[in-house]
Amino acid sequence: MSPPSTDLLQGTLDLLILKTLALAPMHGWGIAQRIQQVSHELLQVGQGSLYPALHRLEAKRWISSKWAPSENNRRARFYSLTRLGRKQLESELENWKRVAGAIALVLEEG
Amino acid sequence: MPLRIKDLWRRLCTTLFGASGEEVDEELSYHIARETELHIAAGMTKEEARRQAMIAFGGIEKTREQCHEQRTAASLKTVLRDVRYAFRGLRRAPAFAITAVLTFAVGIGATTAVFTVVDRILFRSLPYRDASRLVSVGIVAPIEPQEFMLGYTYYEWQDHQTPFETLMSWTGSNNCDLTEQSALRLTCASVEANFLPALGVGPLLGRNFTAEEDRPNAPKVALISYQLWRSRYGRDPSVVGKTVSLDGTPVRIIGVLNKDFELPTLDSADVLVPEAIDPASQRGANPGRVRWAFARLKPGITIEQAEAAMQPLFQQMLTTVPPQFRKEVHLRVRSLRDRQVHDAKLAAWILLGAVVLVLMIACANVGSLLLARSSIRQREFAIRRALGASKARLVRQITTESLVLALIGGIAGCLLAAVLLRIFQATAPLGVPYLEKAHLDLRVIAFAVIVSLLCGILFGLVPVLPKPDAETIVGRTAIGAPHGRIRQLLVMGQIAVSLVLLAGASLLLRSLWNLQNQPLGMSTKGLVTTTLSLGGLHYSKPEQQMAFFQLLEERLRKLPGADAVAISDSLPPGGWHHDHIYAALRIEGKPLPAEGTGGTVAWRWVTPEYFRALTIPILQGRGFTEADRASSNHFMIISHSLARYTFQNEDPIGRHVQPGLEGPWYTIVGVAADVKNGGLMGTDEPEYYRLRRNSPEDWSRDASLTVATSIAPAAVERWIHTEVAALDPTVPVVTETMTQRVSKLADRPRFEAALLALFAMIGVLLATMGVYGVIAFLVAQRTSEIGVRMAMGATRLDILRLMGMQGLRMVAAGTLAGLFIAAIGSHALGSLLFGVQPNDALSFLSVCLLLAIVGALATLVPASHAAKVEPSQALRHE
Repeated sequence: MSPPSTDLLQGTLDLLILKTLALAPMHGWGIAQRIQQVSHELLQVGQGSLYPALHRLEAKRWISSKWAPSENNRRARFYSLTRLGRKQLESELENWKRVAGAIALVLEEG
Repeated sequence: MPLRIKDLWRRLCTTLFGASGEEVDEELSYHIARETELHIAAGMTKEEARRQAMIAFGGIEKTREQCHEQRTAASLKTVLRDVRYAFRGLRRAPAFAITAVLTFAVGIGATTAVFTVVDRILFRSLPYRDASRLVSVGIVAPIEPQEFMLGYTYYEWQDHQTPFETLMSWTGSNNCDLTEQSALRLTCASVEANFLPALGVGPLLGRNFTAEEDRPNAPKVALISYQLWRSRYGRDPSVVGKTVSLDGTPVRIIGVLNKDFELPTLDSADVLVPEAIDPASQRGANPGRVRWAFARLKPGITIEQAEAAMQPLFQQMLTTVPPQFRKEVHLRVRSLRDRQVHDAKLAAWILLGAVVLVLMIACANVGSLLLARSSIRQREFAIRRALGASKARLVRQITTESLVLALIGGIAGCLLAAVLLRIFQATAPLGVPYLEKAHLDLRVIAFAVIVSLLCGILFGLVPVLPKPDAETIVGRTAIGAPHGRIRQLLVMGQIAVSLVLLAGASLLLRSLWNLQNQPLGMSTKGLVTTTLSLGGLHYSKPEQQMAFFQLLEERLRKLPGADAVAISDSLPPGGWHHDHIYAALRIEGKPLPAEGTGGTVAWRWVTPEYFRALTIPILQGRGFTEADRASSNHFMIISHSLARYTFQNEDPIGRHVQPGLEGPWYTIVGVAADVKNGGLMGTDEPEYYRLRRNSPEDWSRDASLTVATSIAPAAVERWIHTEVAALDPTVPVVTETMTQRVSKLADRPRFEAALLALFAMIGVLLATMGVYGVIAFLVAQRTSEIGVRMAMGATRLDILRLMGMQGLRMVAAGTLAGLFIAAIGSHALGSLLFGVQPNDALSFLSVCLLLAIVGALATLVPASHAAKVEPSQALRHE
């Protein structure tokens, strides 16, 4: 019934959240929806891990949260990227590209 | 606005403790609601949509828990890691850690100990209900420094006063004997029946006096103190209702007082008895019984309002006062605490101020140490920043380290405070209010811990303020240049503050020296004194009193080594003696002064040998003789100042005087030299001596015996005990030498001076450490520069001068600033000083000199190290 989901690599969820929030502040449900849409329904974020991850990132001061009215006029908790988070995103992106590139190299060799 | 505060508050809570459970719930329920909407839009029924949303979400409870864990675990982990890191860092720098902890401990220990003592005097609540509404009420006259009241006006005031809920009084305490088997000398205080209820205290057992029991000729009843109940009756509750014998009269015990009960004047009392005074008889009498009055203010009435409200009654009373008194009598209403601490208040504030200064020096020292340490670690910090540690992270870590130091120092300080407090209690004079009861409690320890934490945070943050830059990482720049300036300022401040402390201490020490070395007008060597008070049961008649003392005088005269034996009723130079206003001294052939009291005149009963025993010279006329004692005439010797005041150039010998304006006339037979009689600090009064003849009217139950001896006083003291015991073993005897008596009078100033001197010494020691530390640090920093200078031809003297000047400039600047503050601040010492001006040049000069020498040493020792540096080695120094 649900589309085939690809398990997220350890640590990639953080990267995806940061990247999503880099565009605009968003609430938890919105983040999950967006990741799902952008990945053409390939990546299904398990809600059970999304929220702990958000709280973990906030404790690390990479993102901050604020209560504000949402699209449907209910109070929702909006997360946004902090300056520290932006830096973290950059360094993780770089890291990701290097690792992905390296993996691609190995796979193509084979 | 309130919304914003609420928002801020939530933010703060979230930062500290993570999101609250409610917030997580709301967040998750929002998610499910959106999910449900999505399914409904896709065509599901409402119930089905919600079910699907829940299924998709998985375990809500589990998620909620995980959210919490993420936060608390993160913050707790960092704190623990920081603490561990701090301990590791301190272990690596043991000299730094020990110095910092010791400095903290000294500062906090001294502050806590003094705060404990001062807290009782200045701040702690009194053991009465709603004590802030209790006041002391009365009139102040030259004859008595504390406000008092007289019987005839007291009842008038009680009837007509408006500002008080209750006006109550007590009439003082006196010796009383528990005349049962194994008699016991006690102190009995007489109070009004409304006394305890007005204070808001009740007895522990039994009940308070009733109004009926407070009438004359009522059956005698008494309340006993907790201490007496414990020591005499072994806490036996059945003592209530028992009848005991007080001075031979049966008295029924109706209750036991609380353990912490104290009279509002802080006098000690073993037994409370009703005054049993008939108001009607007092109203008619003038002046009536002397008493000390207290009152409970009506709610909302201030002391000033109460004083204003009492003015009409006071003015009315003034009309009944003899005209010469009117200008010198005032109304006084003041808080009970002011009445109790009286003259201890100033000293308490001074000590508290001094100890805060010590704490400031200690904090500055620790701050200076932390700065030096952070200068060394700047490279480490810069590298860690470069590796991605946030600034906040570094601040937290440094703060943790200083907090750990402060806490260890605070704990050590509490231990030190306990020791210091013991020392205070052992060395302090009597009469420092509450000192015996002072002890470290949670409040005081909390104070110490808060103070140390504040110090830690304040100085822990200074090192992280400047921003480390890339060059610091290379380590080639002049590290610590901005810190150096802060440290120099700290050291200057320390020197200034220690100078203030030193100046205060030296002023107090000088006035102590003046106190102890002033001429007393009498000899104190080889004199043994004892004050005896005979029991009321066996010595109620003057004949019995005279017989006892004369017998004792005779026996003491026979002692080997007793050169002279005098019996008086009081002794100079301080303590109690009779006095009355000068206007109450009628002199034959002279009119009474028309206006004014003329001040007060002191007087004593003495026996002929008094002047020989105390070596008081007779300047004119003759002393009393043994033959005078048998005479039916009355004889008097006046002091030099009284003679000059009264008779100017006339000859006083042979003139007649009537003290108290009634009773017998006295013939002046001689003029004695002036003797101090107002204590060591007080002003002296003119004085006269009445001869105690062999006639019962001249005697009372109390007497002071003085034995002049050329042998060891200890032996004479023992003999006095034996002789008194041979006459009556129930009379308590306490002997002391005149030297001890006089020395006791200086106990209080000595205690104050010693404490301030101790603090000044600690302050100087810490400041010296500060100077030494800064110079030594600068020398270490500039080692390679010194090497270059020497290689270029600078002599060792040049280097010494270079490094030394820097330190001396700090010392000089600090001293000047301190001198300025001390010159302004020393006036606060005011009444604590004796025979020395607050801006005494000699004290200030010597203090500056001392500080300059110490400062120079602290500078030159590390500076000379710099001068001994080998250029070749110094150049290789990193």
